[in-house]
Amino acid sequence: MKEKVLSEHFSIDNFFKLDVYLKHNGYQAVKKALTELNPEKILKEAKAANLRGRGGAGFPAGVKWGFVPQNGDKPKYMCVNADEGEPGTIKDRYIMTHNPHLLLEGIIISSYCVGINTAYIYIRGEYENIALRLETAIDEAFQKGFLGKDILGSGFDLDITIHRGAGAYICGEETALLESLEGKRGNPRLKPPFPASIGLFQCPTVINNVETLANIPSIILKGAEWFCALGLPNDGGTRIFGVSGMVKNPGIYELPVGTNLKDLIFKYAGGMKEGKKLKAVIPGGMSSPILKADEIDITMDSDTLMKADSMIGSGAVIVLDEDTSILDVLTIITKFYSHESCGQCTPCRIGNSWIKKIVTRISRGEGKDGDIDNIARLASNMVGKTLCPLGDAAAMPILSIVKKFRDELETSIK
Amino acid sequence: MKVIIDGKTIEAEENKTILELARENGIYIPSLCDHPGLAPFSGCRLCLVQIKGKKGYSPSCSIYIEDGMEVKTSTQQLRKLRKNILELILTEHPNACLMCAEKKECDEYKATIRKVGEVTGCVLCPNNGDCELQEIVEEIGVDIVDFPSYYRDLEVKRDDPFFDRNYNLCILCGRCVRICHEVRGCSTLSFVKRGPETVVSTSMDQRLIDSNCQFCGACMDVCPTGALIEKGRKYESLADDKTEMLCPLCSVGCRLEVNLGEGRLLNTRPAADGPANHGQACVKGRFLIKDLVYIEKRIEKPLIRREKKLEEVGWDEALDWVAGKLKKYKGKETAVIRSAQVSCEDGYVLRKFADEVLKTGNISSEPAFSSYRELAQKLGFMPALNYKIEEISSAETIFLLSSNISVSHPIVWLEIVKAVKNGARLIAAGPMELQFDRFVSLQLRIEPGTENILLGSLQKILTGGESFKAAKESKVAENALREAAEILKSSKSPAFIFGSESIQGPVGMEVLTALWNIALLSKGRLYHLGLESNSRGIFELDRSFNKKSRQTGLIIQDIIDNKVKALYLAGSRIELPKKARPEFLIIQDSYVSKNTEIADAVLPAAVSAEAEGVFVNMEGRVQKSGKVLEPPGKTKPDWWITSQAAKRMGAEAFDYKKPSSIIKEIRNKLPGFANVTYPALEKSKEIFIKEETPQKGKLFTQKIISLPEGNNKRYPFRLVLFYNLDFYRNLSLSEAVRGFRIFRNSQWIHICLEDADKLKLKNGDSIEVLSPHGKTKVIVRITKTVSPGIVAASPEYPIFNNTASSNVLKVMIKRGK
Ligand SMILES: Cc1cc2nc3c(=O)[nH]c(=O)nc-3n(C[C@H](O)[C@H](O)[C@H](O)COP(=O)(O)O)c2cc1C
Ligand code: SF4
Ligand code: SF4
Ligand code: SF4
Ligand code: SF4
Ligand code: FES
Repeated sequence: MKEKVLSEHFSIDNFFKLDVYLKHNGYQAVKKALTELNPEKILKEAKAANLRGRGGAGFPAGVKWGFVPQNGDKPKYMCVNADEGEPGTIKDRYIMTHNPHLLLEGIIISSYCVGINTAYIYIRGEYENIALRLETAIDEAFQKGFLGKDILGSGFDLDITIHRGAGAYICGEETALLESLEGKRGNPRLKPPFPASIGLFQCPTVINNVETLANIPSIILKGAEWFCALGLPNDGGTRIFGVSGMVKNPGIYELPVGTNLKDLIFKYAGGMKEGKKLKAVIPGGMSSPILKADEIDITMDSDTLMKADSMIGSGAVIVLDEDTSILDVLTIITKFYSHESCGQCTPCRIGNSWIKKIVTRISRGEGKDGDIDNIARLASNMVGKTLCPLGDAAAMPILSIVKKFRDELETSIK
Repeated sequence: MKVIIDGKTIEAEENKTILELARENGIYIPSLCDHPGLAPFSGCRLCLVQIKGKKGYSPSCSIYIEDGMEVKTSTQQLRKLRKNILELILTEHPNACLMCAEKKECDEYKATIRKVGEVTGCVLCPNNGDCELQEIVEEIGVDIVDFPSYYRDLEVKRDDPFFDRNYNLCILCGRCVRICHEVRGCSTLSFVKRGPETVVSTSMDQRLIDSNCQFCGACMDVCPTGALIEKGRKYESLADDKTEMLCPLCSVGCRLEVNLGEGRLLNTRPAADGPANHGQACVKGRFLIKDLVYIEKRIEKPLIRREKKLEEVGWDEALDWVAGKLKKYKGKETAVIRSAQVSCEDGYVLRKFADEVLKTGNISSEPAFSSYRELAQKLGFMPALNYKIEEISSAETIFLLSSNISVSHPIVWLEIVKAVKNGARLIAAGPMELQFDRFVSLQLRIEPGTENILLGSLQKILTGGESFKAAKESKVAENALREAAEILKSSKSPAFIFGSESIQGPVGMEVLTALWNIALLSKGRLYHLGLESNSRGIFELDRSFNKKSRQTGLIIQDIIDNKVKALYLAGSRIELPKKARPEFLIIQDSYVSKNTEIADAVLPAAVSAEAEGVFVNMEGRVQKSGKVLEPPGKTKPDWWITSQAAKRMGAEAFDYKKPSSIIKEIRNKLPGFANVTYPALEKSKEIFIKEETPQKGKLFTQKIISLPEGNNKRYPFRLVLFYNLDFYRNLSLSEAVRGFRIFRNSQWIHICLEDADKLKLKNGDSIEVLSPHGKTKVIVRITKTVSPGIVAASPEYPIFNNTASSNVLKVMIKRGK
């Protein structure tokens, strides 16, 4: 079995409880970071670990922290992105359910590193039970002095607040998340300015995904070198891949970054269900462009997938078999994005809604010549032209489907 | 820095967006969501450009220029892209007419067919011909939309006064949402829902009137489409002429753009380059000016009373008759009460008439400034009054002594909002809570009438003393007072802004003295809000006459005592109490009122849109208001009427042909007006009353006056008086205009929920308020701005405005029948 960083203890009973957690080396990383290391050292370590963001964009966490200006007089904030809205994505939920203290450790260490005294966890509204579990974990950590004033006598203070979302996918986008956290409508903000300089309440802010932060404690305990070696030189560590769709064993698999997609599906997830043939894979959550069956001999890491015109995104692998209608896939995708567009900018709001209307019409058997071209035109008018990346997230998979499965789509029109 | 746009090198200053720079240099980039004065939004995506070295496309409305930047605004790809995007926008907006081949010919008929309920095409839209979307379609040239148009089929919202909202025409540019939030500080509007259902609405989709809307109309003025439509403009013709005038309704002096069509005033909108208002106005200037002109209550012919009845006559007859009657009275027996909403020319002639023709000292003084005159006497010079409204937004600290400012002087309030958004601290002192208390950083809520105690204590703290009278009598906590002092000490030149309410009456002078002292100690500026559109002007004019003018209340007392027998009432809102009916009453005014019913002569005056004239706003800014319309019927400007009366009484120096000759006379008499000539006013917006060179100020001892206890048992409530200024001449705006009355009624008495519950009163109930001065009928308005035991009202009421000697009265409340 490969080495696990995040899910090693998932099967231990009551691991979410602090006393159990403490028996397994719990809070040692916080102790080490706060009492033996200084923020500069931690930042160096985080950078050296080449930990790429697990929320979707794959930006190196250490570099992001380094952007936060250290000499201002404004408070700084940490926002943990636990919105987990990307269809197919289930990893954060496992981490928070089974290993909430690991996340808390990650938050404490990164906040200490950046000089932050207030952190927010923005959690998907539907995750009510998980929010309660986190709440309990935070309470426990407070009682034991891992949170609050003067943590472990280090002089460092940290408070964590949980904020539940209200069911909008867009609130997972970091700037929309900030707006929502401020109590406003979750509309994305213009960038620049970037949150690192002007974020929550106009103050410098770090936003990281749950999984990203949950990797920090191990990096502190075992070192960047070890972490890097788990994965690839410039994309270190493991990832929790959530495999769903027509495989024998759907579920989560924590594997090194750089694991082959083919292995993931056929070796770890048990291959195709009912012996069906593989048709295509969406490799990194619904926003990632589709890969055809003959394109899956590929390593799962940010750069490789990018080169293959797709992306690793949130590491949610959606497997489609030969029986799956690509038109259905397209319908599901367009319905989702049309509904979840915040409505702020023209190409995304109207473009997605038209794609949806055309695709639904085709599914009703009322397709017309030129429909596919119109879908492609609408989608291309989004790529790189919208206010926030949701436009791209919607357009890229659609364009990839049109490109790779055009023949099949055309047959639905005839 | 240098920026290259489409190959053209442009020398530019930083802190500009590409779009701004392009506009300044006559380079057209289509844009729909951008609007000057609003933060970049970048939603419509029409303004995308290509920047060298940057991948893809960038919205020019939110990217700031950098040295050496190379921008392309009109490549083949961009043009195609814009066409595509505009096409998308048009699928959400009724578009048949926008792309119709017959649209030119159709134009001729549009004035008639657009009078329908549902707008499904431009020909049916009241915005037709004045629409940014139409312009952009022309410019980009869309002739076919590949997707069928999608009609949202939303119900048109018509339940609010002044304007309707038809979101079927909305293109979601967000300008309305942003101006309401960013500039007006109201945040009434927001986007709601998402995806294709996204729409602009209010909290819980309530009516605007229930959502804190101030009906400023700013949202409507920035809307690029016909989604927000002025009710009063809907069925009017298209504008064929545009001109400008000043709003006559408060001392801010907003410049208004006037749309005229076939000689009719269609509507007024704030002028973008108005020096005091910078493209903003309030509900009154935006929506009510037209009513002032066309309301049925206008008097259009001179009337004289013969055999108990008012009879229409010609000017000669009316004026000779009036002159003949007036001549019979001794100087002392006559009086002139004059409004401060008339121009300097009008006000000057009235004053001269009283002085030189009637030879009476009974001319009403300008109440807003009486305390200033006293302070000037103490000081030996007139303290500076000329401070610019626009400079408030850069203040670090604002000390506000006027809880009603967002209603009485909305434009000043906007500057305060801007200051707070820039990080200023707002200290609000007064007996009422501000309507927009969310902008306040320190609230000093005091007992009514104890402003002078509060300020006296503050002064003591600032000079290092210990005094906590305030804590006891004003009920302001000592630490709050100390905090206020700390804030004032730590900021550069704080702005002290106060309304006339606080410096009038017996303690007013003490309040002003204290303000003077505190401003001196903290190196601050004193912003006197003034009252009416020309209160500052009238005040300045009166300084050219040797005789002092008198308080209106005293003149009225003289009428009651039968000392004054003939009254010349010009444009004044005063309602004469029953016992104060003079033997001979002349009314020079524009509307039918209770006073005109009992008058002996009514001389119909033009309203401000119908006469040229010079006004001085609260900043000391001198502005000329243009003549926009011909006066109806036989109405004439005030200066003409008064000088004709004077001439017929044998006076010689009243031979004015036009208002500019009056200004010339004023200029020669009064050094304050030295710069004021008509040509100069037409050329420059920056002409101010010339002030005396300020001398070194000194601190004065301030007397701390506590209000008399009074009979608390009989009069358990304290009534706080504040100004709404909702009147024009003798017309009450809320009485005259129904839409306005729903929004704000001068008859409202503000009461807190707790007291209303105790008295079993609900909103809209008619009740009676009794004070030692009399009683009046009012309407219950429950608000959060007053606390238990306190009620508040605007003193346009007879019992309040004639005898109000203080801004607080003890009253009793009785349920009406
Ligand atoms: C439309 C949209 C939705 C997103 N949803 C999520 C989400 O649910 N969870 C998440 O962690 N990141 C989400 N992201 C990515 C975040 O914007 C952001 O990049 C991420 O939280 C940064 O954390 P990381 O650097 O640790 O990955 C989303 C991005 C977009 C454009
Ligand atoms: S791309 Fe879509 S989600 Fe993003 S701002 Fe534009 S409309 Fe909103
Ligand atoms: S009228 Fe003024 S206050 Fe009302 S919604 Fe429009 S901008 Fe806001
Ligand atoms: S109502 Fe007008 S200003 Fe407001 S979003 Fe719609 S089009 Fe823009
Ligand atoms: S009443 Fe005052 S603020 Fe309102 S439009 Fe007129 S001058 Fe401007
Ligand atoms: S004007 Fe720039 S995006 Fe609308």
